[in-house]
Amino acid sequence: MEPAEAEFLAEKELVTIVPSFSMDRVHLIGGDLGPFNPGLPVEVPVWLAVNLKQRQKCRLVPPAWMDVEKLEEIRDQERKEDTFTPMPSPYYMELTKLLLNYASDNIPKADEIRTLVKDTWDTRMAKLRLSADSFVRQQEAHAKLDNLTLMEINTIGTFLTQALDHMYKLRTNLQPAESSQSQDF
Amino acid sequence: MNANHVVFNSDGTKIAAGSSDFMVKVVEVTDSSKQKTFRGHDAPVLSLSFDPRDVYLASASCDGTVRVWKIADQTCVTNWLLLQKCNDVINAKSICRLGWQPGSGKLLAIPVDKVVKLYRRETWDHRFDLSDTSIAQPLNVVAWSPCGQYLVAGSVDGSIVVWKVETQESIERTKHEKNYSICGLAWHPKYGQIAYTDTEGNLGLLEDIGDGKKPNDKVASTAAKDYNDLFDGDDDDYLNGDAIEPPSSPTTGANEDHGDDDDLMPTASHPRRAMLDDDDNSLDIGMIKANCNLLEKDDDDDDQTGGFPALPASSTQQHFYDGPLPTPRQKPFQPGSTPAHLMHRFMVWNSVGIIRCYNDEQDNAIDIEFHDTSVHHATHLPNSLNHTMADLSTEAILLACESTEELASKLHCIHFSSWDTNKEWTVDMPKDEDIEAICLGQGWAACATSALLVRLFTAGGVQKEIFSLPGPVVSMAGHGEQLMVIYHRGTGFDGDQCLGVQLMELGKKKKQVLHGDPLSLTKKSYLTWVGFSAEGTPCYVDSEGIVRMLNRRLGNTWIPVCNTREHCKGKSDHYWVVGIHENPQQLRCIPCKGARFPPTLPRPAVAILPFTLPYCQVTTEKGQMEEQYWRSIVFHNHVDYLSKNGYEVDENATSQSVKEQQELLMKLFALSCKLEREFRCVELADLMTQNVVNLAIKYASRSRRLNLAQRLSEMAVEKASELATALEEEEEEEEDFRNHLNAGYSNSGTERSRLPVRNVQQDEEMEDAEETDECEEAEETPEVHKQRPNPFSKGVTSAEVTTAKPAVIASSSQGRVNPFKVSSNKKDPLVPSASVLDNMSKYSKKTSSSSRAVNKQNPPVIKPLIPKPKSKQASAASFFQTRTPNSSEKAVEERQEKTVEERQEKAGRESPEVKVTAQDNTENKRPKTGFQMWLEENRASILTDNPGLNEAEVIKEGMSRFRVLSSEERMAWTEKAKGRAVNDLTEDKKRKRPTAAEDEAKKNQEQKSEDSNLSKKTKTSGQSTNVRLSAFAFKQS
Repeated sequence: MEPAEAEFLAEKELVTIVPSFSMDRVHLIGGDLGPFNPGLPVEVPVWLAVNLKQRQKCRLVPPAWMDVEKLEEIRDQERKEDTFTPMPSPYYMELTKLLLNYASDNIPKADEIRTLVKDTWDTRMAKLRLSADSFVRQQEAHAKLDNLTLMEINTIGTFLTQALDHMYKLRTNLQPAESSQSQDF
Repeated sequence: MNANHVVFNSDGTKIAAGSSDFMVKVVEVTDSSKQKTFRGHDAPVLSLSFDPRDVYLASASCDGTVRVWKIADQTCVTNWLLLQKCNDVINAKSICRLGWQPGSGKLLAIPVDKVVKLYRRETWDHRFDLSDTSIAQPLNVVAWSPCGQYLVAGSVDGSIVVWKVETQESIERTKHEKNYSICGLAWHPKYGQIAYTDTEGNLGLLEDIGDGKKPNDKVASTAAKDYNDLFDGDDDDYLNGDAIEPPSSPTTGANEDHGDDDDLMPTASHPRRAMLDDDDNSLDIGMIKANCNLLEKDDDDDDQTGGFPALPASSTQQHFYDGPLPTPRQKPFQPGSTPAHLMHRFMVWNSVGIIRCYNDEQDNAIDIEFHDTSVHHATHLPNSLNHTMADLSTEAILLACESTEELASKLHCIHFSSWDTNKEWTVDMPKDEDIEAICLGQGWAACATSALLVRLFTAGGVQKEIFSLPGPVVSMAGHGEQLMVIYHRGTGFDGDQCLGVQLMELGKKKKQVLHGDPLSLTKKSYLTWVGFSAEGTPCYVDSEGIVRMLNRRLGNTWIPVCNTREHCKGKSDHYWVVGIHENPQQLRCIPCKGARFPPTLPRPAVAILPFTLPYCQVTTEKGQMEEQYWRSIVFHNHVDYLSKNGYEVDENATSQSVKEQQELLMKLFALSCKLEREFRCVELADLMTQNVVNLAIKYASRSRRLNLAQRLSEMAVEKASELATALEEEEEEEEDFRNHLNAGYSNSGTERSRLPVRNVQQDEEMEDAEETDECEEAEETPEVHKQRPNPFSKGVTSAEVTTAKPAVIASSSQGRVNPFKVSSNKKDPLVPSASVLDNMSKYSKKTSSSSRAVNKQNPPVIKPLIPKPKSKQASAASFFQTRTPNSSEKAVEERQEKTVEERQEKAGRESPEVKVTAQDNTENKRPKTGFQMWLEENRASILTDNPGLNEAEVIKEGMSRFRVLSSEERMAWTEKAKGRAVNDLTEDKKRKRPTAAEDEAKKNQEQKSEDSNLSKKTKTSGQSTNVRLSAFAFKQS
C-alpha cells in the first residue's frame, strides 16, 4: 500500500471543527454530516475539515491528543519501553501531517507538536528496524508486533517481505550448491 | 526589580523594601529622595522587620542568611546562616517573616524550619527555640502579640501555634481546615484575636486567644472562620465599587458557599476591609496594612504586662444591627462579557459573533469576529476611547464608553449593513450621564444610562423614544422588536438581589409586555446573563447556574429550564452561557474550569447542554414523560408568539412537535392504564387532541376498561361540542363582516345539515378507512386547537378559515367563503360539479407555487377544514364501540386483516394501475357508504321520533336502526353507495389535496396523475403512522 492510500484512509477519521457558515444536514453515502451552525462545534471527517479549512470556512479544533504535554508523555513512554506503546490515534502520523499542513494556525504550538510526533515516529521506526533485524538474524519463523499503525506497517511491509523472499531464494540456492560440493568429495 | 516585602517602621515614617535584586532599601515616607541602601545579601531578600526602636533592621534572604543592619550607618551588625538556600523567592520553602518583640525590641524571632529561634538584642546570641510537636512543616510567618508576651507562628501546611514566650509553652494550636499555607498573621491590637491569610486568598480569624486557662495539650477551641473566596477576582468585581458594604459584617454576597457566614461576628472591620479592596496578587499589601495597624498600637501595649486587657464577652462588646442586612447591588453588566478589569476580555460573545478587547501596555484594541463569516468579515478596531461595553447583531456593532474627565460618555455604532458609505455614527451623552448598558435589536439600538434613562436610537442613528427606568439598570437585551431591561427594583437583603424586568415591543404597535415585574432569582444569587433565545423568548441565568425562560403560555411567568451546575464536574466549575436555542433545544455555553468565565486564550470551545425542567421523580417513567411533555410545550410557545406577530413559522417542526406531544400523552395514558389509574387517564385524555382521544378510547376498550372508555367518549363528545360552540361563536362574530350573506339561515341548522355527510362513515367495514383518516388528522387537528386559545388573534382570516370547513371548495371562486351556501351544497351530495374541482386545483396550485409568505398565510386557511366534523363522527364511532364492545372487538380483527390485505394489494399494484388503486383507496375512505346514505334518508324520521337529540346521538340512533335492517336492505344501500363512488371520488380528491399539498410533495401537484398519487401517498403515510400507533397500543395491552 502506498502512503497516499494510508493517508486516504486516515481522512475518514472524525475531527471537530467550528464552521463559520450555516448549512443544513448533508446526506452522504458515508453518513449524514452536520447540521452546520456558525460558531457551534461539529464533527466531520478530516477530508471535509481540510477542504473547509482551505476555503476558510471553518476553524479546526485540534484533537485532544494533539497537545504538547500529552505528546511529550507519549514520546517519553515510547523511548522508555522496548516494545511499541499504543498511539493516541491509529492515524496519528497522517492526522498530524494533514492538520498541521492545512490548519497550523488553529493548533497551538504547531511546531513543537510536529517535532514531538516526528520524534515518536523516529523512535518507533528505529524499534521496527531493530526488531526486523533481530527477526532476520535469529531466523525466526514468525514474530508478533503490537500497537503498530497502518502507516508504520506500510513503511516496512513491502520491503521486509521482499527481502525475506530474496533471502529465502538465496538460502535455497545455497543449499544445493553445498550438497553438490560435498558430492564432489 | 520586584519588591518582595515592604514594611513600615513603628511610627510610620520610613518604609523598608527588600527586593529580588539582593538589596534592601529604606525610604523616608515624606521625602522619597532620602534613601538608604543595604547591600550584602547574595540572593533575593525574603522579608524584613523594623526594630521598634528604629535602630536596627532585620532581613532574611534566599541566600540562607538573616542579617541585622544598623539603619543609621547602613552596616551589617550580625549575620546568621539559618535558612535553606534557594535561588528565588518562589522556590523558598518559607517566606520567613521575622518579628521583633514589640516595645523594647529585646528579642528577634525568626522562623527557621519547624522552630522559631529567638535572638537577643545587642548580644545577638541565641536565647531559645520555640517549638511544638504539631508543627510538621516549615514555618512561614511569625507575629508578636502587641503586648510582646505571645508569639504566633503559621506554617506552610496551615498549622498555627501560639506560644507564651516567657514560659516557652504553646498555648494554642489550630490547623487551617484546608491545610493551605499561612502567609500572613496579624494580632488584634486589643483583643485576643488573630487574623490570618492563606496563599489561596482566604482570610480567617482566630478568636479568644490567650485567656491562658486552657491546658497546654488541648487544641484550642478557636472559632476559625473563613472568609472564603473573598479574593476571587470575579466575585469582588461585582461587590467592590459599591460602597454600601455594611461595616462590621462579614456577610457578603461572595461567601455564600458557607453556611456560617450568617452569624455575625464582632470583628475588627479594618483589616478585612483593607483586603477587600485588593485583588488576589496583592496579599502582601493587605498584610502590611494589618501589620501597620498593629504597629500603631504598640505604644499603648508597651507597658501592659498582664496579657490582654480583660475582655468582655465579645458578642456584647459592640452594639450592632442584627436584622437582615442589605446586599450590595450588583453592578451593570453586558450579557456575554467577562469582567472589565481583565487585560484580555470578551466584551460580548453571542450567537452572532465575538468581540474581544485587548488592553495591555502595547495595545488597546477591539477584535470583532463573526461566527458566520457571510454576515461580515472579522474586524480590528483601535480602542482609543476605551470602550468597555459592546453588543453585536447581524446588522451592527454597538460600542460604548464611560465618560472621562474631558470626554463625555459615548455611544458608537458601526452599522455595517447600511447601504450608504457612511457606516459609523457616534452620540455623546449629556454631561454627567454615563452609559451603563447597551443592546441592539433589529433596526434599533438602546442604551441605559446612569440618569435612569433608556434611550432608543434607530440603526442609522436617529434618536427615538426615551423613557425612565424605575431603578439603576443591571442589564439589557434586544431581539427583533423586543427590548428587555433588568434593573434594581430596590435593595435586596441577605445576599439576595431585588431586580425587576421590563419587556417591551418596539414594533409598529409599541407596547409593554412585562411592566417591571420582579425577577425571580435563586436565593443569594445575582444575575449573570440576560438574553433572548434565537426564537425570541426572553431568558436569563443567575449565578447559581439556573436558566429561566419566559413562559408566555402561563401568563408570562418564568420557568427554570436548565440547571447548568448539575452538569459541572467540580464545585468551582461553571458554565458561561452564550446562547439559547429552542428548536433544536440547545443551551450553548462554555465550560469554565474553576472559574465563572472563560479566558480569551486558549480559545474556548462551545458546548451544548440539554434542557431539563425540574419536574419531580424524573427517574420514573411517568415523571420523565411528564417532563418531556411539558418541556415540549414550553419550547414551542415561541411558535404561537411568532405566528401572532407575523413571523414565519416552520410548519413542519410545529406538526412534528405536536405529534411528539400527543405521542407522549398517549404513552402516559397507556402507563396509567397499566397502573389501573383510570381517573388519571381521563385527566390525561383531557390534554389530548380529539383524534388522539379516539385512539385512547380504542385503547381503553381494547384493554377492557369499558368504564374508562365510556367516560372518555363522553368527554370526547363534550369536547367536540365545545369546539362547535367556539366555532359558532366565531361564525357569529363573522356575521358582522358579512351581513349581506346572512340570508336567514340559522347557524345551528347549517351545522347539522353538514354533519351527516361525514357521519355516514360509521359502517363497520369502513373502519379501516376511518383509522387512516384519523391519522391524517393527527397532523391537522392541532392547528384548530392551537387557534382556540386565541381565536380572534388572526382577525378575519382565521375566523373565516375555521368557519369555512367543507365550504371552501364550493365558494373559493368567489374569494370569500360562504359557509351557508356551501353546506346546502353539501347536503345534496349529487351536486359535485366539475367547476368546483377546477377551482380547487387552481387554489391548491397557488398555495404550493406561491412564495413562502403566502404559504404562511394559506395553510391555516386550509388546514382546519376537516377536523371538526370528523371528530364528531369519530366520537360517535366510539359510542358505537362502547355500546357493543364485542362487535367492536371483532371489528378490530377484521380491520387488521383488512389492513394487511390492503397493503399487499397496494404493493402488488404497479403505476399503470394507479388509477385503480386510487379508486379503491378513495372508495375505502369515502364516507359515502351505504349507512351514510341511509342515514341521510332517514335522518328526518329519527329527528321527528326523538326531537331532543344532538348530533352524535342522532348518529347513534341511526346506527342502531341501521343495524336492525335486514342484510338485503343493507346490501342495497351499499350498492347504491357504490353507484355514486365516481362522484364521491372527485370530492374526496378535493378534500385530500390541500393537506397533502402542505405536508409533502408539492411538486406532485403539477403532474397529471396528481390526485390519485397524492391520495395514495397520504393514505399510506397515514396508515403507517396508524399501524405504528396501534401496534404501540397493542404492545401495551
